[in-house]
Amino acid sequence: MSAGPPRPTLPEARAKLRELGYLQGRVERFVFRRALEGAAGPFLPLVLAGALGAAFAETAAVCATQFRYAQSPWAATLLFGHLFLAGLLPCAAFTVLLFAVAGRSRRPGGAAAIAGLLAAVAVLALWLFGTWRLGPERAEAALLWGIPVAAAAALLGAITRATFLARAFASSGRLPETPRRAILIFAVAGALSAAVLLFAVRRQSTRPEAPLPSPRAAPVVVVGVDGMALDARRPDDAALARVLSEGATGVWPARRASPAEIWTDLATGVPASRHGVRALEWVRPLGLPPLRPPLAASWYLRGVGLATGLVSRAPVSAEERRSLAFWEVAASAGLPALAVGWWASGPWPGASVVENREVLARAPGGLDVDAVAIAEFERLSAGRTLSAVYLPGLDILRDEPRRRAAALVRVTVFLDHWIERARRGEAALVVLAAESHPSAGNMGRMIVFDGAPAPCTVPIRTEDVAPSILARAGVPAARDLPGRAVAALFRPGSLETTTVATWGERVAPHASAPRGSDREYLEKLKSLGYLN
Amino acid sequence: MALAAGELVRAKPAGPLAVAVAVEYVHAASLVLDDLPSMDDAARRRGHAALHVVYGVATAELAAVTLLSRAFEILARESSIPPALRARISGELAAAAGAAGCCGGQAADLAADPAGVGLDDLEAIHARKTGALFVAAVRGGALAGGARESTLQALTLYARNLGLAFQITDDLLDLQGDPVTLGKDTHRDTHRANFATIVGAESCRELVTELLGTAVAALVPFRRRGAVLADLARYVRDRRS
Repeated sequence: MSAGPPRPTLPEARAKLRELGYLQGRVERFVFRRALEGAAGPFLPLVLAGALGAAFAETAAVCATQFRYAQSPWAATLLFGHLFLAGLLPCAAFTVLLFAVAGRSRRPGGAAAIAGLLAAVAVLALWLFGTWRLGPERAEAALLWGIPVAAAAALLGAITRATFLARAFASSGRLPETPRRAILIFAVAGALSAAVLLFAVRRQSTRPEAPLPSPRAAPVVVVGVDGMALDARRPDDAALARVLSEGATGVWPARRASPAEIWTDLATGVPASRHGVRALEWVRPLGLPPLRPPLAASWYLRGVGLATGLVSRAPVSAEERRSLAFWEVAASAGLPALAVGWWASGPWPGASVVENREVLARAPGGLDVDAVAIAEFERLSAGRTLSAVYLPGLDILRDEPRRRAAALVRVTVFLDHWIERARRGEAALVVLAAESHPSAGNMGRMIVFDGAPAPCTVPIRTEDVAPSILARAGVPAARDLPGRAVAALFRPGSLETTTVATWGERVAPHASAPRGSDREYLEKLKSLGYLN
Repeated sequence: MALAAGELVRAKPAGPLAVAVAVEYVHAASLVLDDLPSMDDAARRRGHAALHVVYGVATAELAAVTLLSRAFEILARESSIPPALRARISGELAAAAGAAGCCGGQAADLAADPAGVGLDDLEAIHARKTGALFVAAVRGGALAGGARESTLQALTLYARNLGLAFQITDDLLDLQGDPVTLGKDTHRDTHRANFATIVGAESCRELVTELLGTAVAALVPFRRRGAVLADLARYVRDRRS
């Protein structure tokens, strides 16, 4: 007895029938099959397709803008998984809405085309605006991602349109008008064209040639004092205010923001929308490096993910910052530079950096933070052309008058020392006084002691601070920055007057070496009152 | 199906009606022949005793030939269809009934060794035994209304997929259906090769859904005018007899 041909599996049977001319058809075949199975047939496929499309677009945006993800396929894949989870609920809601509309649609063909278009545009928008918002470090990489994203958007659009038709067919039994497929192709082509235009006009982030400095004889010392209440007229601050009033002062209207944002504004010369540091913490999806959350996934990465433990908090770090701080520009230009305790600071070639987390870790309490920072500054500042230290003690202790007074004494002594040296011409001292918790009408200040200029007060912008400090150190100003060096505050003729096109973006050469766990740093920030 | 196809192309009813009657005559002839002892040897058809059981084999054979002749006579006399189209419809219907259609399919079915039949062979049998007449019906109805080639192509796609889905459903009903509801004997095909035995009942149901999905999708360009044909696809999905 002959065994006969082997029994085909379903996929084999399907393939054979297709080969014989059956089961031919476009995407409608898939959904009409579902529609024939039942009204809810197309629900799950659309939810899954939507979540996949959205996750793909957001992963593309992150990978094009955050180098640690661009460099690690594993991280990108895992992030994709997180974002897929994040997309399920919104996509389910979208599908329910789509079903409700489709079930009542009188012109399903046109409505389905619009639904498909919306889905495709949503995916493209997630990618395009996500990339734009997060800031591409390499525009060409962002554009390369655009090709698969466009394909995913077109596919999702087609599935959405077909699902709409299927649902309308399942509920009414009426066949729709002729599908309008071309509209999806036009939408995708339009979005890609927009992306090319947008990314073409965007600043390129390749690191330019380092600006050639004209080193000055005297070093520049920058002291950032957070929480110095010069406008509040606290009696304790009067003595220091009197001393500082002898400097040349630039003032700007203070605004309420996180200290990390304010002090990064000052360090980089650009607003947060450009440098990227907004808060004291960002998020770390399980098993992944921290990231700036893509727009549409914020509800998961900052909400549900945190609640379920799939996402944890991560403290602010230099890797979040896209713009160069002034000490990094100086170091890139070959000047010995130092930064101690500044928010969102991290290792940089040529610069000596004591990170904020290191300073806080060494200080047992708020009163000791400034002491640790000052000690580190004095230990490392010798021989530096540009040195900066951030003193947060007055801000940390703003609600503890007695301890704040003690901290104020320490700051005053430190500033007195450097003001005296500045008057002797041994250094140019720039004191930055900015409040993280200002009242209405409060001003931020850049007080300069550079030789013995007449005290004056001029309005400036926060964006002017970094270019002024660098110009005083002999580094040419960057024309692509909004701020300009304020000559009126410095010794006449001491500022560098040449310019360069750009200082470039901050493309970190490598990730920070771990110095203690993020949890410890977060706990420290919490204990000092920065976080709730 | 011929009437629905005629309606789809906005034909006047007389032409598609003539096609529908002709197709039905050919179909009836094929059933009479199919039930003969030398063929499937079926005793019941549509809930009644088969024709040859009541009137004898010779009468049944003559009745079948008469039905076939009458079908082409009706077509030839239908003056509402332009002569060229009449000739084309007649040719397609004749092909669907002859060696390339029902007769050829039945011959291949009788000759087939059930143990050696593969999916290709089975499709070739069904496409001719069942599918050919489905295709002839919708194409004939549409041709009677002067349908364009693109319309004919879409309808052919519809009819082929529907025809195969119908036949697979038939196989499933033979295996699992109720003889009373079905109006004919069941388990007659278990000794013969059929889709249910080759790919399994579960896979058959999946293939039927996919084939019907393809058939309905082929009607999408016709909007509401395709609704009746789409309903026929639903009927095939839901049919129990």
